[in-house]
Amino acid sequence: MSLSIQPYSAEQPVNPYLDVDLYDPDADLMVLNLGPQHPSTHGVFRVKLILDGEVIVKAIGYPGYLHRGVEKLCEKLNYSNIKAIIDKNDYISPMINEQAVNMAFEKLAGVEVPRRALWLRSLLAEFQRIASHLIALGTFGLDVGGALGGGASAFMYCFRDREMILDVFEELSGCRFHYNTHCVGGNRHDVPAGWDRMVLPALEVIEARLDELVDMMVNNQVFVDRTQGVGVIPKNLALGLGLTGPNGRASGIDCDLRRDAPYNAYGEVEVRPAVRSAGDCQARFLCRVDEIRESARLARLFLAGLPEGPISGTKPNKGPTSVKIKEGRCYVGLSTPRGELGTYLIAGGNKGLSPYRLKIRPPSLHHLASIPYILPGNNLSDAIAILGSLDPVMGEADR
Amino acid sequence: MKYFLDAIRAMLVTLKNFFRPVETVRFPFEKRERGERYRSSFALVHDEHGEEACIACKLCERICPSEIITVVGGEKKLSEATGKKRQYVGDFTLDLNACIYCELCVQVCPVDAIVMCRVPEVPGFFREDLVLTMDKLYANEAAANEPTWANATKLWEMQDPKRGLVEAEPDEPAPEPAASETPSTEPAT
Ligand code: SF4
Ligand code: SF4
Repeated sequence: MSLSIQPYSAEQPVNPYLDVDLYDPDADLMVLNLGPQHPSTHGVFRVKLILDGEVIVKAIGYPGYLHRGVEKLCEKLNYSNIKAIIDKNDYISPMINEQAVNMAFEKLAGVEVPRRALWLRSLLAEFQRIASHLIALGTFGLDVGGALGGGASAFMYCFRDREMILDVFEELSGCRFHYNTHCVGGNRHDVPAGWDRMVLPALEVIEARLDELVDMMVNNQVFVDRTQGVGVIPKNLALGLGLTGPNGRASGIDCDLRRDAPYNAYGEVEVRPAVRSAGDCQARFLCRVDEIRESARLARLFLAGLPEGPISGTKPNKGPTSVKIKEGRCYVGLSTPRGELGTYLIAGGNKGLSPYRLKIRPPSLHHLASIPYILPGNNLSDAIAILGSLDPVMGEADR
Repeated sequence: MKYFLDAIRAMLVTLKNFFRPVETVRFPFEKRERGERYRSSFALVHDEHGEEACIACKLCERICPSEIITVVGGEKKLSEATGKKRQYVGDFTLDLNACIYCELCVQVCPVDAIVMCRVPEVPGFFREDLVLTMDKLYANEAAANEPTWANATKLWEMQDPKRGLVEAEPDEPAPEPAASETPSTEPAT
């Protein structure tokens, strides 16, 4: 006897709590641990798969291997220090993590951020989005593997193109990855002279090479076979699990905080997020491809319109006690490459120098919650593709 | 047939990339050009009178998120160069093992005593090699380890909330024509 499990669909939902009797001699089930060190889990994420032959019957996700206690640590650190460690959370898009906590602090401290800093932040966020999506596309190419000429080559090409963005960031802030280029009230580093001469060609190269990547992967029949109709997340499931970002938009949830609740300078430009309805791996991939193009367009707009003026609204940080927030609580949501990153801050710890509590809502954790629903009924090889298409970052999911 | 044609097309992209210039460097033998603001290892500097600049105020020790700086205050005595009484640093240790290169210690130093270097620190075989003692930090000041652009004064200047309001910054790119300006280097597509 074999359990007949169908892939998730709106008509026939999978029960993630399905009881399986591992010792049923007729069922002939097998337990397979995917991870925590498996490269395709994008970090240290463990999925326990119960397999019937090659078909997944049940999947249980175990996050938490990368738990560093960041939220607790933030209760001990001063406000001016938190942003330096918070960009280790989502290590694929550190720039936007810094902005998230800074926006929360600024909201409570009542600091007004100058216009130039807002535009610069939006510009940096769009660059970071391109870089992050390039990683997502590249590693997905690696995950679906031998898409004939795609696969590992696409991975290398994406990382090569991402280097250009890291160079741009290095030129601005001096670091390639953990920038610490924001401060409460604005930015710490102003753009160096001639920065645009480095930025614009990089954008052009990335866009041109993206077309090649699309030609190589998306239009490839092997790739289409591997991704189309695989790992479908219907709209109601996506809504129920709180999927945001490209994963949610691929399932038809037309929501992007950049457009719907504009922060930074997004209110002053038109943002056109890419929305698809299929909800499968291919739709998620294509959403990211479209978002890179959209981000490149936005980045050009922000660079062209970068206003003059100061980059910080407060006095420069001259000591560990420069930011003091006595009380208050606020929620700030912004759109990272993965989805809505929420920061809930209750001020008032340590005589107003540290938060009483800093809660982070990581989009990746919500995306991973869909795994028990969408993996059953698929082949084991598709499990890798589905995990890759969700683009989780464990640093942020486990915190 | 479709599969075959798609494979050929994908291979053509690979072939195109094959003839592109190599973008990696053979690291230990060749080194990449670092950006002007690239920040890496640390140095303590001397002030314009040739005295140790650090006044052991411990601000960097207190702001460091990884708590890796240890400053021991030294004696207070009259400065030979200026004749004023000031504090000297007794011992200064910076444990690079846990440094996250956040530049906060540079940002807060009131006398620009600590700066970061543009040259990456030399990797070591032992953890102790990465603990920068005061001697190593002062040795880093030498020309071989060219310091970065940033020290506290320059960072504060850049972050001044009144900056750019009185006069135009020479540092900034021209806003409007910047986008239409032809890029100086041709994109290597
Ligand atoms: S750069 Fe390193 S030493 Fe300086 S404050 Fe940051 S973690 Fe501490
Ligand atoms: S390096 Fe600067 S901040 Fe640190 S103790 Fe010396 S003077 Fe104070």
